[in-house]
Amino acid sequence: MRNTFRRFGTTRIIEHWIQLITFSALVVTGLSQRFYTLDLSRWFILHAGGIDNVRLIHRYTGIIFSCAIAAHILAAVFGLVIKKWQPSMVITKNDFLNAIHNIRYYLGKEQYPASGGRYSYTQKFEYWGIVTGGVLMIATGTVLWKPLLVTRFMTGEIIPAAKVLHSNEALVVFLIISLWHIYNAIFSPEVFPLNMSIFTGYISRERMIHEHILELASLEGATPEEIRAHENENRNRESLPANDQ
Amino acid sequence: MPYENNTDIAAHNGHPPISRGSDVRRTQKNQWGVVLLFALTLLAGRAGGEPAPLSDESRRCLDCHAKPGIVKFFQNNESLIAYVDIDKFQASAHSSLACSSCHPDFSSGEHPTREFKTKAQYQIRSSLICRQCHTDEQIKKRAVHRGLLREEKAGKPPVCANCHGSHSVTLLSGKSSFTNEEQYCSKCHDRSKTMHFKNNETLSLKIDVLLLKTSVHGKLSCSDCHFGFSSEEHPQRNFRTRRDFTLASAESCRRCHFDKYTKTLESIHYTVLSQGKLNAPVCTDCHGSHEIYRVGKVRTESARRCQRCHEKEYDTYARSVHGNALFNENNQDVPVCVDCHTAHTIEDPLSMNYRERIPEMCSNCHAKKEVVGKYGLSTDVEKTYLSDFHGVSLGLYKMQKGKLDKPHKTIAVCTDCHGTHNIMNTRGAEASVVKTNLLKRCQKCHADANEHFPDAWLSHYEPTLQRAPLVFLAGLAYKIFIPILLIGFVLQILLHIWRYAVNK
Repeated sequence: MRNTFRRFGTTRIIEHWIQLITFSALVVTGLSQRFYTLDLSRWFILHAGGIDNVRLIHRYTGIIFSCAIAAHILAAVFGLVIKKWQPSMVITKNDFLNAIHNIRYYLGKEQYPASGGRYSYTQKFEYWGIVTGGVLMIATGTVLWKPLLVTRFMTGEIIPAAKVLHSNEALVVFLIISLWHIYNAIFSPEVFPLNMSIFTGYISRERMIHEHILELASLEGATPEEIRAHENENRNRESLPANDQ
Repeated sequence: MPYENNTDIAAHNGHPPISRGSDVRRTQKNQWGVVLLFALTLLAGRAGGEPAPLSDESRRCLDCHAKPGIVKFFQNNESLIAYVDIDKFQASAHSSLACSSCHPDFSSGEHPTREFKTKAQYQIRSSLICRQCHTDEQIKKRAVHRGLLREEKAGKPPVCANCHGSHSVTLLSGKSSFTNEEQYCSKCHDRSKTMHFKNNETLSLKIDVLLLKTSVHGKLSCSDCHFGFSSEEHPQRNFRTRRDFTLASAESCRRCHFDKYTKTLESIHYTVLSQGKLNAPVCTDCHGSHEIYRVGKVRTESARRCQRCHEKEYDTYARSVHGNALFNENNQDVPVCVDCHTAHTIEDPLSMNYRERIPEMCSNCHAKKEVVGKYGLSTDVEKTYLSDFHGVSLGLYKMQKGKLDKPHKTIAVCTDCHGTHNIMNTRGAEASVVKTNLLKRCQKCHADANEHFPDAWLSHYEPTLQRAPLVFLAGLAYKIFIPILLIGFVLQILLHIWRYAVNK
């Protein structure tokens, strides 16, 4: 029986690194512009060589971010259509049921957490938050960067509207990442101090059972119940000698 | 100019000393007679108030010299009008003297032709005749004379007629005791005295004592400003031009107003002055000299002072919404020149420093409800500007200033859209003009801007459903969505931790 499973390939690991770096740079250079009155923002702007530099970094990082998002979407479409990948990130009815199930589990009304497939509903939420938010940020960012070009084809009001969308969506994406993703990947007691899967590419059997039991079940050709029963058996066996002592 | 009126304090050059010995001998025989006649003249003049009758000799001389156009020429081609105004002569202190009393070479029968190299040489020689009666001992009692006598020793002989006149000489003082300095100074300076400069410009030294007394400096003594001058001292100063004199005189103000003086040192006026443009204003150009009064309360007057040099700007301002309210409605809320440019630290209005302070200047009124509220103007104008692209950039540039050695981009400020001296009403008939101008203003920096572009600016309005529905709805959606998202996340995390703790 395998104790570790390959969860992410090299491309996904590289993709995550690019997102991590560009997203952090965009957050720092963007939020310091949005909250420009804060001392911390001013400290950062000064140390980055002034507001013109900060804007330049923000825009060119935005280009890298946009390319990464575009490449990801193209790859996903290509994979799904040509290579017939499993659409594991698509949100289904089960995700909503799982969310309700998990809340019941947290409240003590279920014995086990919701049985997760390859991606849990929380991960899907993060993923789609970043992808849709990213696309919106790219679109509105382009409008803000090239207002003269945009107003050739559209009303001028699009500029302040883009500004409102860009700065608020930035906050939404930032909240998703800083609160939800960072909690799930770092501070959640199940993965603390850090969920290394996206960096190493591997995940332990224990976490597979806990978080992705449906995926494990399909990998091993067993039902989730069988896997859980087997796991409980193993755990009891390991704990007996300790009781004798 | 008739010689009789030439009561000058000359800014003369040094003249060659002239020997007095021969003149004294020549005129000694007349001395006692002159004194006697002079005394009689005084008595007669005071007793009757009628002009003293002219002597036969005088009448004879005046047959010619009372005719206008009689001129004496000197070797250097200078000339002197030899015309004598009979009325002025008869009203003078010397009216009962015969002409030969002062012109000893001449008499009813003799009219010698004399040659003088220069007019100054003639005047100095004539002054020596005055001093045969008015001895050095007598005239020394006056500080102004003491100074002149000192200068004489240094090779600059005085010309009495410059101050006293010649044929129109009158008594400067009836009494020799003065209760205060003004009385003492005004004995001479309440007359039409003129200061002459080397470039032939003149300046009246007549002081209107009443104006002086009612000025803010009414309680000061003359020497408080004219330091170096007193009842004891009256130095003779020579200035090349009238402007040189004004520039030197304005230096007096700093003795009391040092704070204002130091401010002016940073001003564009001082910068221009120090570059050699002597027309740049100094204290007295704006405030006046002897008639200084507070202008703070008379705002129209304050603006008019600037008009003296900045006429074009003043005219434009007078037609603006501000100027119109000031001059036509006597509105005291509107700014005048000094409210934006300041009174003393007047900065170069084309400098980046000045430009960056413009939103602050406008906000001094336009962000205050108590000032603009009564005209139905919004006080959001500052906030909406500062939170938009231009305002944020400007704020950050200002923050960076002095900390980063980086050139700033020029950022649009209030005046770029609203104008400076020509600010118009943004409502009513002029509103459309403002709107039409907006695109032109945008194109100054954003050359490719088309007619849609100015709509990117919400004209200081907060977005509403009617005015900017896209912006309003986008903002509203996030105002609802973000708190829900935040609460959802926090609840999920707390429940998760709680479950983990219970399971443990």
